[in-house]
Amino acid sequence: MIQVRDVSKTFKLSRQQKREMGSHFRGETVEAVAGVSFDCQPGRVFGLLGPNGAGKTTTLRMIATTLRPTSGAISVAGHDVTREPEAVRATLGFLTGSTQLYDRLSVNELVRYYADLHGVPSGLYRQRREQIFAALEMESYADRRIAKLSTGMRQKVSIARTMIHDPDVLVLDEATAGLDVIASRTIIQLIRQARDRGKTVLFSTHRMGEVELLCDDLALMHQGRLLFNGTYAEFSASMQSPTLEDEFIRRIEAVGA
Amino acid sequence: MKVIATVFRKEMLDTLRDRRAIIFMIVVPMLLFPMLFQVMISVSKRNAAKVQAKELRVVVIDQGNASRFVEMLRERGDVDVVTSVPRDSIAGLIQSDSLDGAFLFSSSFDDDVAEMKPGRVDFYFKSADETGIVRDRLQETLDRYEKEILDERFSRLELDQSIVEPVRVESHNVASMEERVGTRVGGLLPYMFILFCFLGSMYPAIDLGAGEKERGTLETLLTAPVNRFHILLGKFGVVVVSGLLSAAMSIAGLFVSFKRSPDLPPEFMNLIVRVLGWDTILLLMSLLVPLTIFFAGVLLSVSLTARSFKEAQSLISPLNIALILPAAMGLMPGVQLTLGNAWIPVMNVSLATKEIIAGTISPTELSVVYVSLIVLAVASLWGSAWWFGRESTIFRS
Repeated sequence: MIQVRDVSKTFKLSRQQKREMGSHFRGETVEAVAGVSFDCQPGRVFGLLGPNGAGKTTTLRMIATTLRPTSGAISVAGHDVTREPEAVRATLGFLTGSTQLYDRLSVNELVRYYADLHGVPSGLYRQRREQIFAALEMESYADRRIAKLSTGMRQKVSIARTMIHDPDVLVLDEATAGLDVIASRTIIQLIRQARDRGKTVLFSTHRMGEVELLCDDLALMHQGRLLFNGTYAEFSASMQSPTLEDEFIRRIEAVGA
Repeated sequence: MKVIATVFRKEMLDTLRDRRAIIFMIVVPMLLFPMLFQVMISVSKRNAAKVQAKELRVVVIDQGNASRFVEMLRERGDVDVVTSVPRDSIAGLIQSDSLDGAFLFSSSFDDDVAEMKPGRVDFYFKSADETGIVRDRLQETLDRYEKEILDERFSRLELDQSIVEPVRVESHNVASMEERVGTRVGGLLPYMFILFCFLGSMYPAIDLGAGEKERGTLETLLTAPVNRFHILLGKFGVVVVSGLLSAAMSIAGLFVSFKRSPDLPPEFMNLIVRVLGWDTILLLMSLLVPLTIFFAGVLLSVSLTARSFKEAQSLISPLNIALILPAAMGLMPGVQLTLGNAWIPVMNVSLATKEIIAGTISPTELSVVYVSLIVLAVASLWGSAWWFGRESTIFRS
């Protein structure tokens, strides 16, 4: 369960950053997220959609406690992100494009490292490792160094790293970005399995096909604000364009870039 | 504690698998001194041998005087005495290395000497540096010649030679060998220790801070349910161990180069071993540990601020210069540890090390050095923890 209540995030700009924003920029701060609220329920996949720069990653980072909200409140599995950040991280599996892996470690070493950081006991670790490595077909390169892996292999290792402590809440930011259809499908299946086991899944993507395949609930984000928040069924019922992608573009253009 | 150990183990493994880190931390400090020694010894040996063996071409213009001196020069066997060179071309010929030296005796030389007056001789040579090996070789004959004249005068006057020695000084230096070594070699050792502690910790500090940020692995690490301070402590441990390892390697390298150079007398080697006993090394290490923690704090803070490995390198380079100056204070003669300068970081370690080796350190000053270092180490640890906790440090873009 993730509860996001009226959350905003403002970044104060340094003098250099202001200069880098160009001559048209006025002001001291940038508001990346403005008064956003939504709930992600256990046993459901929540899709967070939006164009680049909409504030998705900032929102996800606040949920993962790496950024603090400027105002508002977020709770993950009943723990407040500002008051109990470690408890939040213990129940969370977080993956974004900026969570990379150590090139000089082997796949086994890396997954073991994160299991140790999460305090997973040895016996349980071996059992979960078996399951995850089998599901993602990772066994053949388990002792290979990360530096020698392809993009698809790396992403699978990232997923394994995210799930090794069996988190109740999964936050996956563009988990299938850069992957071929086969690798993507494996990950989609894994997300479905997690949902079926009662996990809360927050999923952000640019691939509309995946939204149709996976999402039970949906939020559309643009310029730091939510344009839509509801179930997938409600969204499709209110569609004025023939496809999801067209509807997505229509709603964003209606607000103005 | 378990988390710190987990982070430490992983960071150490990661660092040891990095070839660049190994070169910086182990190979360079270990090989630098043996190589430097080897080059220095072989170059100076080759030059000295060349100059020593060379036959010297020397002009003597005696105008019928000082025949004994010419005889003495010829007796040497390594001097080619030339007499037929015009007087005004002498300086030019020596300048252009066609001649090695010249002696010009005044026309009244023999008469002056006979009258017990000083006889004038002009000695020409070329010695741009201070070593003046050619000059020394010729001066030796001149001295012997002068001694002969002096002996002859004493006997003619029936005087005892001791009258020109009104005071006979017998020197007794009570400074122990340790003290003498302490002030000479003692200045160099802390300089090396401090420099390599810094250089050795520099690379892992950059890699574990800016390097992780640049590669995007830091955010992954921060999603783990562990206290950021514990992560930082794990990283600190690796940086400190690397610095100390580097310093230890440089000392090992120095020992090896001492052992391998055949010209060093065995007594000197024994002395070095005696001066650098285990108790001294432990005492020195106890100073280096807090100093390296201080370095690690500063380096990690700078490294975490930087956006990339490259930026971190350019931010850290000026620190090298800021470090060399106080570290080099130990090399300066006459600068001693006082209650005042014992508070100045780096400089205090440099001076205290020198005194520890010499065995002249006072407990009061040593305690001040410890207090100063521990305060700094704690402050740098605390400062970097605060810095690491800031959002704008981690996500600076």
